Amino acid sequence: MSDILMSILVAGLTSGALYALATVGLSLVWGSMGMLNMAHAAMLTLGGYAAFTFSTALGLPILLGLLGALVVGAAAGALLYLLIVGNLLKNDKATFESNVMIATVGVGIALENAILLTYGGQPLKQPLSVPGALVLGPLTLPNQNILIIATVIVLMIAIALLLSRTRIGRAIRATAQNRDAAQLMGVPVNQVYFQVLVLSGALAGICGVMVSSMTQLSPPLGNDPMLKAFIMCVVAGLGNLPGAVAAAFGLALLEAFVQYAAGARWGFPTLLFVVIAVLIWRPAGLFGRVQIRRM
Amino acid sequence: MANITASPSRRLSGSAKRDLAISLVLIAAAVALPFMVDSRYILGQIVLALFYATIASQWNLLFGFSGIFSLAQMAIFAFGGYATAMLCFYFGWNVWAALVPGALGAVVFSLVVGLACLRLTGVYVALLTLAIAQTMYLLIVTDTECFTMVGSICRQFTGGAVGFARFGDLGTRALLKGQWLIGNYAIVALLFAATMVFTYAVVKSPIGLAFRALKDNPGYAVARGINRFQAQLLVFGISAFFTGLAGGFYAAHFQAIGPGILSMSQLMFIIAITVVGGVGTFWGPLVGTVVLVAADELMREAGEFRTLGLGVIIALSIILMPKGLVGRLGDLVRWSRSRRQASVSRKLAEQPAPAGE
Repeated sequence: MSDILMSILVAGLTSGALYALATVGLSLVWGSMGMLNMAHAAMLTLGGYAAFTFSTALGLPILLGLLGALVVGAAAGALLYLLIVGNLLKNDKATFESNVMIATVGVGIALENAILLTYGGQPLKQPLSVPGALVLGPLTLPNQNILIIATVIVLMIAIALLLSRTRIGRAIRATAQNRDAAQLMGVPVNQVYFQVLVLSGALAGICGVMVSSMTQLSPPLGNDPMLKAFIMCVVAGLGNLPGAVAAAFGLALLEAFVQYAAGARWGFPTLLFVVIAVLIWRPAGLFGRVQIRRM
Repeated sequence: MANITASPSRRLSGSAKRDLAISLVLIAAAVALPFMVDSRYILGQIVLALFYATIASQWNLLFGFSGIFSLAQMAIFAFGGYATAMLCFYFGWNVWAALVPGALGAVVFSLVVGLACLRLTGVYVALLTLAIAQTMYLLIVTDTECFTMVGSICRQFTGGAVGFARFGDLGTRALLKGQWLIGNYAIVALLFAATMVFTYAVVKSPIGLAFRALKDNPGYAVARGINRFQAQLLVFGISAFFTGLAGGFYAAHFQAIGPGILSMSQLMFIIAITVVGGVGTFWGPLVGTVVLVAADELMREAGEFRTLGLGVIIALSIILMPKGLVGRLGDLVRWSRSRRQASVSRKLAEQPAPAGE
């Protein structure tokens, strides 16, 4: 019994770590610029394929592949700002929220399809895999899972430090709190937006590598973690980073337990019911501030 | 910039006159169409386009006029189609008898979705409705339990990944023999016309004004005595009826329904139609359907690049023309009118550059 419990726990924590990484990327963008990035899923996939290209096709070391995924993801974020978001910001502010959602939906479809056309639809193997497992008495921890959880923890700490200790982080937090006030204080808001999208793209790239190392590379790779990350964002309250991480781990554990107890197909519906219940109780999410809309 | 000289009441009657004129032209075109189109393939695509236009017009009612960004539109459409198909399949009903109950089922489903979204705004609605639609898709596709046995084949309650087929049709095959497609075209065209008339009535009615007020300024609208909960539930229910009915007709026309219509790309196509045509404009969904279905047919030559092109079209059109083709056309008309009044000599100058590069 405890064996099963432990393996559920390990599976839950691993997927929780992956969801947390996806959720933070989304939540960062929403919190600072009020933009829901529907292309995040495609950026995840892009990162996974970038790592595959660098390490398998070009034969570079795996760590360089990971770095490549990070760079490609960041570049995708930068392009997203330069081509789409920057232009939409020039238009009417009131419609930005829905317009940017629709535009990124289009970008997401185009990107996913471009990947499909370039690499084909058949699943590919992500080279980043660590064999073996750590055995601690009755506990068996696959090294792959340890690697993922450790990477995510390191990244979380790095983001927390970036946000709390650096100049860029302070500008991001100021913009998130009150954009107009930040701008009046001399924060270059558009530059902050650019930086946030680059950061979120880099996170998406790494997250894509991690997700694909657990399963396989395929063009719709990012959609499933993305949909769950959306749910976790909503439960936590969009834009709340610590809340998002907590919700990611909590819901991933719940999902793992439900999938074990009731069968794999009930995992996602259970998450949905939790979200609906939470939102009826607290419309802005568990940790979300009551949103003050700019009219 | 906009130079409005006419009084509001005269402008309203002017727009009603224009809408009437457009409708008459469209009706004439719809009647003439089967006589001009020989190709069965083209007529089939036109029927499909009419379904898209119907769904898009109801999504436009929800998003464009009421500001509720729901992504459950295809789920409601599928619900209507599945309900109709299942009534015929399990109880042996005639398709025509099952259409309205199917549509009412879709209304109930939509009201439940609306209830879940009642306290939410903006992107929260989008995320929750997307999750609901995806759940529906996953539950249908992963359904493997046998519900009944048909011959020696196991059938799932929801039809599973295969869906339902051969549960009856609209009766046009028996009636019109080889010309059945024209019969179906007439039926679907009537459905679309009824949807448009109904949408027009809703948009111009006090309820429609309440929806629009809630979209433009929720705080002010509520202060003026509009019940937000009631209005939001109402628009979810209203927009679901014709969506569900279209779902039933869709299932009956193709004599099949499967989980494929719940896929993301179908939903995106509906959104793209509305966005390209013009969100919140009455004729936008129709214009968008014509343009996108035509573009889709042209891109069929390019084969694989279809979906890629669709994504690029969505992204570009929202940047270059946030109000869609109809909105741009309106801008153009207003601009040329003000130009004509200002000076005739500068008429040939360039039109104002669209926002963005």
